[in-house]
Amino acid sequence: MAMDVAERIHEQLTRCGITLAASLPDDWVAPLIERIAADNHIRHVRVAREAEAVAICSGAFFGGVRAVALMGATGLLTCTGELATLNLRHQIPVFLIVSQRGSIDDHRIYQEVQGRRTIPLLQAYDFPYHIIDRADDVASIPDAFETCRMQKRPFVLFLTRRLVKGEGAS
Amino acid sequence: MRAREAIDVLARQRGGAVAVCALGMAANEWWAATKSEDSFYMHGAMGFAASFALGLALSLPHVPVWLINADGSLCMNLGCLLTEASQAARNLKHFVVDNGVYQTVGGLPMVNGGRTDYAAIARAAGFPRARTIEALDELERQIPAITAEEGPSLTVLRVDPEKGFLRTPPMTYEGPEMKYRFGRALERRLGIEVFGPQGY
Repeated sequence: MAMDVAERIHEQLTRCGITLAASLPDDWVAPLIERIAADNHIRHVRVAREAEAVAICSGAFFGGVRAVALMGATGLLTCTGELATLNLRHQIPVFLIVSQRGSIDDHRIYQEVQGRRTIPLLQAYDFPYHIIDRADDVASIPDAFETCRMQKRPFVLFLTRRLVKGEGAS
Repeated sequence: MRAREAIDVLARQRGGAVAVCALGMAANEWWAATKSEDSFYMHGAMGFAASFALGLALSLPHVPVWLINADGSLCMNLGCLLTEASQAARNLKHFVVDNGVYQTVGGLPMVNGGRTDYAAIARAAGFPRARTIEALDELERQIPAITAEEGPSLTVLRVDPEKGFLRTPPMTYEGPEMKYRFGRALERRLGIEVFGPQGY
């Protein structure tokens, strides 16, 4: 991820009032995670499985703390059961930042399955999402966060390859 | 030691702790013992009550948070112990009701047939304090010190499995009502804001 993009996203998360982040990295979101980890105003929790991040953010909600879960698209698929039986069942908002792996410019064979199935899966669950493809759309993060609170359910903010790697990156 | 007896001891010693309960037996018994709305009773996400409790404990560092977990739930994600140990939340206490079976579905045996030492696993994960308690009088003797000690700690309560289904009924509310009762209870008790001015 280009450092200016990570910096912009971090800045917007701070604007949202986020003081807790739970993460399990993939390589696209790793620079953002390390930037957040270095911020003394955000409690950063490294987890062993992505659903832990979901549940940690859900518990933090009841402590009155604004939180974000960061992960890759494969990790998002692993926690759909918890997102349904915890967050959907109890209407607990959880804000997730996820790399949109498996896009047409992501030439990793092990990401192919995630590419065409992830969004239909979110639609089946009726989980809202927003795709950030360009740096000037990063400023929409506070709106996305507020929508997550209002919708009272998981909200996925996808980061595209073009955004995190830059135009024409190999 | 029976599960109900162990839970009753915890309930009497709870003080001001906010509780998070794993779904099934742990949640139902805690509800039967406390009828408390400042407790969160999981209805799903088996294996992740520990993570929910950790998020709560990190968000409310001056409030004692008790996790009433069960062996079946803990085994769904033993990795939670690494995360808990790494965060070292001093206000978090983790109790595991270990009956060696999936009681809620009729008492079918757990994986590894009662050979697992969860306290040893917790210590190996980095918990500074972890122990197993097998008898009720031992629990009654130790619980004041456990309550007073600094977290994170893990206490395994080894209890006898019940025959067949445990008939303790679940709490009388669920879903979104659980969210609002729990959140409003914390707002009243702690003076925090969980929901915004428009109620969401």
